[in-house]
Amino acid sequence: MSWKYFELLALGAGVTAIISALAIVFGLAIAVPIAAASLARNRLLHRLGRSYISFFRGVPLLVQLMLLYYLLPGISINLPNTATAVVGLALCTAAYQAENLRGGFLNVAPGLVEAARMVGLGDRQILLHIRLPIAFRLVLPAIVNEAILILKSSSLVSVVGVSELTRMAQNLSTSTFKPLDMYTMAGLLYLLLNWSIAAGGLGLERALHWGRR
Amino acid sequence: MKNIVSGLAAGLFGLMLGAGALSGAANAEDALAKVKAAGELKVGTETQFAPFDFIDAGDHVGLNVDVFNEIGKELGVKIVWEDLPWESVLPGLDAGKFDIVAGPATITKARMEHYRFTVPIADATCAILKAAGDNSVQKPEDIAGKAIGAGKASSQMDQLKAYAATLKNVDIREYVDNSTAYADLAAGRIAGVANSLPNIAYVAAQRPDTFAVVEPPFGQKSYFGYVGRKDDDHKSLMDAIDQALVKMKHDGRLAAMEKKWFGLVFDTPDTVPAPNF
Repeated sequence: MSWKYFELLALGAGVTAIISALAIVFGLAIAVPIAAASLARNRLLHRLGRSYISFFRGVPLLVQLMLLYYLLPGISINLPNTATAVVGLALCTAAYQAENLRGGFLNVAPGLVEAARMVGLGDRQILLHIRLPIAFRLVLPAIVNEAILILKSSSLVSVVGVSELTRMAQNLSTSTFKPLDMYTMAGLLYLLLNWSIAAGGLGLERALHWGRR
Repeated sequence: MKNIVSGLAAGLFGLMLGAGALSGAANAEDALAKVKAAGELKVGTETQFAPFDFIDAGDHVGLNVDVFNEIGKELGVKIVWEDLPWESVLPGLDAGKFDIVAGPATITKARMEHYRFTVPIADATCAILKAAGDNSVQKPEDIAGKAIGAGKASSQMDQLKAYAATLKNVDIREYVDNSTAYADLAAGRIAGVANSLPNIAYVAAQRPDTFAVVEPPFGQKSYFGYVGRKDDDHKSLMDAIDQALVKMKHDGRLAAMEKKWFGLVFDTPDTVPAPNF
């Protein structure tokens, strides 16, 4: 396989990496208020949070991307294709990440919260120093898992006109008549990207090794 | 739960209605004026349709690229390409994501009800591509009793079906894209691929050891044109593009490009002819 093709696939991998990284970061940022809302005692907030999750988890990502792409121009919002891709991926992954966060929060042992209250910590202190750090450590593997899933799902964004890694491999395999070479290379590049996410996640876990010796 | 679902459904439905109602208002501007003001003409296409649009050694090339460069010169604007899977291309045109679709697409009755075609730029009559050295297929009717592939949702597929109905036992296989069909033909899984003559002539010329064209074409006479919107806002733009294309036909620029990409020059009319199907 010539160097030129490898360069183009690497370019596609770069697009995949940037779009996925933005989607993961924005997705997590959106997930925090959604998780908080779905945990809230206020009925309206709770319903809003649950509706968000049930919609974005219930509709296939491909359909969501199509809706964004074809609906938004109708209401005079004409996002560039890459922005449409990032927004679509972020909104979808936020629903899963919100559920991850909610699960982590619910799994903080009640005994710890009670003990904190016994020693005189206030609600705010309990949230910041007990519940959030423990919840975060509990959900880290699940968050990394979802980040890997969304990187792979980013192969769908070619439907909104973004030439990411999979699309690049498709285009090249039609013009070179060498699909096996192109898809093997694309697969290896995906593997490489996901290894870096996984390694980052493990590194973070080690850095936050509270209570693990 | 039921309330949430119905509320959500109503909300989504409302959004769609709103989008539909607003889309008319949002685009109520003259398309040619808009294109000239922006200084660029956005063209949607799929870069997997050699020799019209494809990636060669990493660059987007093909007849379309050459033709639109000239159209850009005539209109005084830059050409901006967008590559999408074919099934996303025409809906993208409807959603206003680009001004025109390159493709090109075969001019058919059904498509003319929804879209406005430019004047024809190439012959699109359907023919069969076979494996080089396959002596069992000498003329189109020899495909009786054999497996033949064509692109899903393509007008070539419709033509192949209509033609196969006049023969015995043609096993028709649908493919998501033509390249998969060519790959299956090269691998011997099928005996032929039906596609328009310019496309298969190009494929056979690229890989003469693997593929050959079965002469003559079997389909009804048809043409390729570029696809634009039919509404009044786009009339001026489509008229200007037609004018540029006719000018290119008369001064020999289009013929030179056809010679370059197909190895032959097609005789195409200056107006959109009434389609045969």
